[in-house]
Amino acid sequence: MNATPMSSPASMQRRRFLKLGLGATALLAVAGAGTALLSKPGLIEGRLSAPSRQLMRAITVAVCGDLLPPEGPAREARLARHMDQLDRQIAGFPPALRGDLGQLLTLLGTAPGRLGLMGLRSPWAEASAAEVQARLQVMGHSSLALRQQVFHALRDLNCLVFFNDPASWALVGYPGPRTN
Amino acid sequence: MSSSDIRDNDGPSGAITGIPDPIAEGLARGWKVRGGPHGALPERIDCDVAIIGSGAGAGVTAEMLARAGLQVLIIEEGPLKSSRDFRQRESDAYTQLYQEGGGRKTADQAIPVLQGRCVGGSTTVNWAGSFRTPAETLAFWGERFGLSTLNFDAMQPWFEQVEKRLNISPWLTEANANNQVLRRGLEKVGVPAPTINRNVKGCWNLGSCGLGCPTNAKQSMLVTTIPAALDLGATLLVQTRAERFELQSKLGNSDEREAEALICQPIQTDGSPAGAPLRVRAKHFVVAGGAINSPALLLRSDAPDPFNLLGRRTFLHPTVASCSVMPEVVNGWAGAPLAVYSDHFLSTQAMDGVIGYKLETAPVHPGLVLTNLGGIGSKLAERARALPQTAVLIGLLRDGFHPDSIGGSVKLRRDGSPALDYPVNAYLLEGARRAHLTMAEVQFAAGARSVHPVHELAQDYRSWAEAKAAIQALPYKPFITGFASAHVMGGCGMAADAARGVVRPDGQHWQLRNVSVHDGSTFPTSIGANPQMTVYSQAARMTAGLARRLNGREVRLFSPSQS
Ligand SMILES: Cc1cc2nc3c(=O)[nH]c(=O)nc-3n(C[C@H](O)[C@H](O)[C@H](O)COP(=O)(O)OP(=O)(O)OC[C@H]3O[C@@H](n4cnc5c(N)ncnc54)[C@H](O)[C@@H]3O)c2cc1C
Repeated sequence: MNATPMSSPASMQRRRFLKLGLGATALLAVAGAGTALLSKPGLIEGRLSAPSRQLMRAITVAVCGDLLPPEGPAREARLARHMDQLDRQIAGFPPALRGDLGQLLTLLGTAPGRLGLMGLRSPWAEASAAEVQARLQVMGHSSLALRQQVFHALRDLNCLVFFNDPASWALVGYPGPRTN
Repeated sequence: MSSSDIRDNDGPSGAITGIPDPIAEGLARGWKVRGGPHGALPERIDCDVAIIGSGAGAGVTAEMLARAGLQVLIIEEGPLKSSRDFRQRESDAYTQLYQEGGGRKTADQAIPVLQGRCVGGSTTVNWAGSFRTPAETLAFWGERFGLSTLNFDAMQPWFEQVEKRLNISPWLTEANANNQVLRRGLEKVGVPAPTINRNVKGCWNLGSCGLGCPTNAKQSMLVTTIPAALDLGATLLVQTRAERFELQSKLGNSDEREAEALICQPIQTDGSPAGAPLRVRAKHFVVAGGAINSPALLLRSDAPDPFNLLGRRTFLHPTVASCSVMPEVVNGWAGAPLAVYSDHFLSTQAMDGVIGYKLETAPVHPGLVLTNLGGIGSKLAERARALPQTAVLIGLLRDGFHPDSIGGSVKLRRDGSPALDYPVNAYLLEGARRAHLTMAEVQFAAGARSVHPVHELAQDYRSWAEAKAAIQALPYKPFITGFASAHVMGGCGMAADAARGVVRPDGQHWQLRNVSVHDGSTFPTSIGANPQMTVYSQAARMTAGLARRLNGREVRLFSPSQS
């Protein structure tokens, strides 16, 4: 893989964490996550990387709750489709926004980032919906700008993509565009 | 399966067939359009006037200058879309027609900001409410910024021209159920509920104004002034971003300079570069990229800024929302999104006292509302399932009139793109609380079963008494208090002297002899009313003066022969 600006350690240090604020940089340093960032970029060529898909899946399950089909193949299909549409949404973002989101996902993909930013103990693949929900709830009420920024980045993106999807419209009683 | 297959195979298409498409017809007639799918840009272009942007200010400017016989070039960073592309889907609309793919937020992420990025700018996606600039706002500008010649009476002829040109008139069709909730509630609490004027012609009352009008009824710049300018021979570049001015080097101690050229960058739809830059030379440049982007262009160009005003005093109408679940079906996505309003809570205290707010409604499209409504898990699911019965009220805070309300400032990110720093201070937060109180009272008066102010810690309240006590006790802080805005103003403020403003009252930059700004960024404060009419009428006034200065011609936005 080519060293994208995001995965290069030098530019990682140089970059100001504009969206995340300086707090994130400090957290990163404390957590010593620098090296871990190299191995698992959050976005690859503008799309969710495999670890990010896992992470987003956990967030989606926590945010959308029982709006998703019950566990089983239907839920998996809905989630897979949702991930594809997240990719499409992210691809439409301007490079600066995509860069910030990529950094956030990279960070959350590491154990120290996950713990430091979200206070989530279990790895993404093992965390229960209730656990992720509880952490999100705490972040949503937090008085720390950094936690709020992370909360909104994750929640809002998921909601936008989920409710824009025609597959969700019946659930919310929306008939879709009116053509006459 | 590609993502486009996903879209095309689901649900009603949203496309309306049999509607004449003025853009397709114009292109077939030979309009000069380049950029994106319309063909590569040349290396250089010379013209009389280059206009940056194609939104409210740019459109009016382009039509009038083309009518004055000047060679006009319009430069727009967004794509050219038209009725046949407007499928009334949020997923398409935000990514294709809005700034930053619909993801623009203030720098600390506390306030989502909706702005257009397409031919027609924000007018292509706005909700068609049309208000003259409030007289008290203009009076304040006169008093504080020396703009007394722009008083309400002086602006009257410009309002009238705009209203005629854009078919602005009261909305006489029955208000949709969402607006009826507002009207009923206001009447019950004893406050007038006037009808909104809208810029539409033959409106189908679909409710998708915010997603691009699929029937060309909304009299946006996309279907009015831009086609008129193109018919008069103007050239339009799309997917082309004005990157920076090349300024004459500084002579002596004077701050006065000229722009020698404008460097433009062809871009892909996500905003990343696509091809070699273009150099534009013009006798005059009109910056009309909207607040945030216009100051950013001047910042990237290192424009003289002797009083450190550029990008400062950028204002939103910070907007808070309150959702109510009604006993009846509301289907708030259907029908004209804005039909009823109240200015009562703007006028009940001194203009420079506690912040006032205008009450309106917001269209209840699932993506827009459920993204901004708050909640996760079972709470979100409950709110989502109640969408058909949900009515949404919004309170637009009038910022910029009090010593504590200094608005935001535009900064540049490393890649040169703009970010708006807009601290949510105690003054705004107190306004949010008062607006939440008023909206809950109005919603319960209208018969709401439950009301939920958009605030992370708010519950769904069952009575006005319960809501009142709870809202008074809630902590009002940034982030947990939900704000958003679709109205951005200021950043290149207009004033009677250089120490108070970036541009002169006639729109010309105080230090750049051949650069003017004709858009919402020239406002010294927010307006306290939806801004499009103010942008149009100020642009018309400024452009009439500019045409006179450039080639001595008298032009109007609307002449009786046009009707
Ligand atoms: C969803 C929504 C609903 C609204 N509803 C209403 C309403 O009901 N009533 C009302 O009065 N107002 C409404 N508004 C606001 C109103 O539309 C705007 O205030 C008005 O259009 C602003 O005019 P402007 O000329 O300043 O900028 P805009 O109309 O936003 O136009 C600016 C244009 O310049 C382009 N541009 C920017 N920078 C560059 C660059 N460097 N190079 C090339 N092009 C560039 C942008 O892409 C954009 O197309 C709404 C806005 C939105 C987004």
